[in-house]
Amino acid sequence: MTTATEVLSPADARTRPQPSTRGWIARIGVMILLAAIVLWRVATIEPFWADRFALAAIYGIIGLSLNVVLGYTGQVSLGHHAFVGLSAFLSAFFVTEKGQSFWIGLLLATLAGALSAGLLGLVALRIRGLYLSLITLTYGFVAVNSIFDIPALTRGGAGMPAPRPSGFATEHKFALLCFLFLGLVLWIDWRMMKTKVGRAVLAVKQSEAVAASYAVSVTGYKVLGFMVSGAFAGLAGSLFAHRATTVVSADFSFREALIWVLMVVVGGLGNRTGVVIASMFFALFPFLVGLVNPLEHFVIDTMGKDPEELTLVIGPALALLTIILYPGGVGEQISPITRWFRGEKFSLHPDGHKPKGKPHRAAAVLRHLVRRGR
Amino acid sequence: MRSAIVTGIVAALIGLVLVLGGGAENGPNPFVTLGVLNGAIYGLVALGLVLVYKGTRVFNFAQGEFGTLAAFFLFFSIDSEYGGLPYPVGIAIALTGVLLIGLAMERVIIRPLINAPRVTVLVTTIAMALFLVGVEILAFKAEPRSLSPMIQAIDQAGDVNTIQIFDLAVEPQRLIGLGVLAAFGVLLAFFFSRTDLGLAVLATSQDSFATRVVGIGVERMSRFIWATAALLGAVAGILYVPLTGALTPAVMTQNILIPAFTGAVLGGMTSLPGAFVGGVVIGFVQAVSLWAAGAWRVGGRAIQEIVPGSEQLAILVVLLVVLLARPQGLLGRET
Repeated sequence: MTTATEVLSPADARTRPQPSTRGWIARIGVMILLAAIVLWRVATIEPFWADRFALAAIYGIIGLSLNVVLGYTGQVSLGHHAFVGLSAFLSAFFVTEKGQSFWIGLLLATLAGALSAGLLGLVALRIRGLYLSLITLTYGFVAVNSIFDIPALTRGGAGMPAPRPSGFATEHKFALLCFLFLGLVLWIDWRMMKTKVGRAVLAVKQSEAVAASYAVSVTGYKVLGFMVSGAFAGLAGSLFAHRATTVVSADFSFREALIWVLMVVVGGLGNRTGVVIASMFFALFPFLVGLVNPLEHFVIDTMGKDPEELTLVIGPALALLTIILYPGGVGEQISPITRWFRGEKFSLHPDGHKPKGKPHRAAAVLRHLVRRGR
Repeated sequence: MRSAIVTGIVAALIGLVLVLGGGAENGPNPFVTLGVLNGAIYGLVALGLVLVYKGTRVFNFAQGEFGTLAAFFLFFSIDSEYGGLPYPVGIAIALTGVLLIGLAMERVIIRPLINAPRVTVLVTTIAMALFLVGVEILAFKAEPRSLSPMIQAIDQAGDVNTIQIFDLAVEPQRLIGLGVLAAFGVLLAFFFSRTDLGLAVLATSQDSFATRVVGIGVERMSRFIWATAALLGAVAGILYVPLTGALTPAVMTQNILIPAFTGAVLGGMTSLPGAFVGGVVIGFVQAVSLWAAGAWRVGGRAIQEIVPGSEQLAILVVLLVVLLARPQGLLGRET
């Protein structure tokens, strides 16, 4: 049956030469090897870094959550600190105050995230334009100043305890759990974009009028996108809570929401792999500075700064550079590798593949000069 | 029709302030007067937001940080430990500095994106705001400083030098804020309806290609918009920060930007008089909600003990109601 949202596969996918069986084995082998190295490192590294890796995986989920809004629906959410934070508090609340298991808390937190994002989305879509950014911004403002201060839910400033599940109490096991959930979110994201829902969401982003004329529900798919994003954020919030084992509202500030938006931009809008890599970089950056001895010395002793403060300058600067010069972000830069994994030949400049956005200013000037010289 | 709405709202506001503000001892009087004066600052920032929105159709999330930067420039110019300059010179330095930063940002960041999708430009303003906050934290540390107001509220003899309005001592700074807002509102309204440059800016926002065809430089318009927006933000910062008592990085973004956005939406994102009225209404609503949360009781406890942050909740409620009931705002046109 042909439905409105069914899109034929692009011509190059059908005519493109496919790798041989050995080629596929090589690709799958490298992929498994990469995953094994990551999991092995997480399982054997010292507890301090295992804990940081858990945070990196959670940032990866948050990045994917924002990627759904920014990259797929083409809207902006500035209230993700509220979605993540509220779900963190809810998860801790259900586990500590109501005596539920971790898994129930996780499920309820995920549902709460989906529900709040969907409701805000419904209001925002009443008017054309990027009003979701304003509504989520204000919602985040309310969450920080009001909801996170409700004594019954958050125990005020002292924080709400959030014990880890018994099977995943150590840093290593919890980090592995976070990576498993990151894998799950990646898989859901991938499958969603391969099916009718994903095609419809992208069609709505491209042109609402055309999508609507093909009987694709514009509002419906946008709200669905927001709800998926909220669900991912809720899941991340629950993991965040039980990683820290105490939830305090100071962890979820407006600044966090902005950093999260920017890390998705740096990763490349709509590019799953790039977003996860950039998110992990943003999560680990303050600790990576500590790894490089001369750098740490320079930042802490010579400049007298906290590496975490440095993230606030480096992050936006990276994002601005990405937007102006490399609109494809990390995802665009690593595309030769990801395209090889998808079954194409390894090539730095694949046929018919042009970089997104405007060419580099310097490159344009050069080309102009060369043409005049001829 | 529109002027009737404006007149109606202003009259209703003045009436409410008179009735509530002059009322009994435990009435909401001090809250309301202060709220309306706070609303003037919201209106000033909202004017800048509406200006950029009219020109580029994008919400400018960096508008608040122009104000914080201006306050920092002013602080370092007049503080005896650093500049030790007289106050008016400090103001001039602050305005010039922020104007230059606004121009530089327009040239380096906004100009290359002149044909980019709106989401991209929106995210860019977010990155600009966070970048400025990051630079402020790196350069000035996150410690609070105190910036003195234009006219000292305490004179040499130690007496409080304030003006009495409805049994309420008001700092002169707040009244200056209201005056400046009114002046800017009239000036900009005149500019957009009567001058060639104003009309050209509006034309650019509607169709930049067609504007180019008739010989108007889109770049010049963009430069003009961002310079004016930076200036408006700087004025708001200079007026507001002395009232809060603490100058910290991101202070304007945290305290003013969100109420100002709500005010701008309430007024209709494209209407300059709307931004003026919307900002003041938001200040009023916040004041009433603050009073109500303390005065009204549910089950023997004041509302603020059960759910804190009534001021912020009021803003969300206003925003949701406006978007649900009248998405084009009080004075905006359907887009």
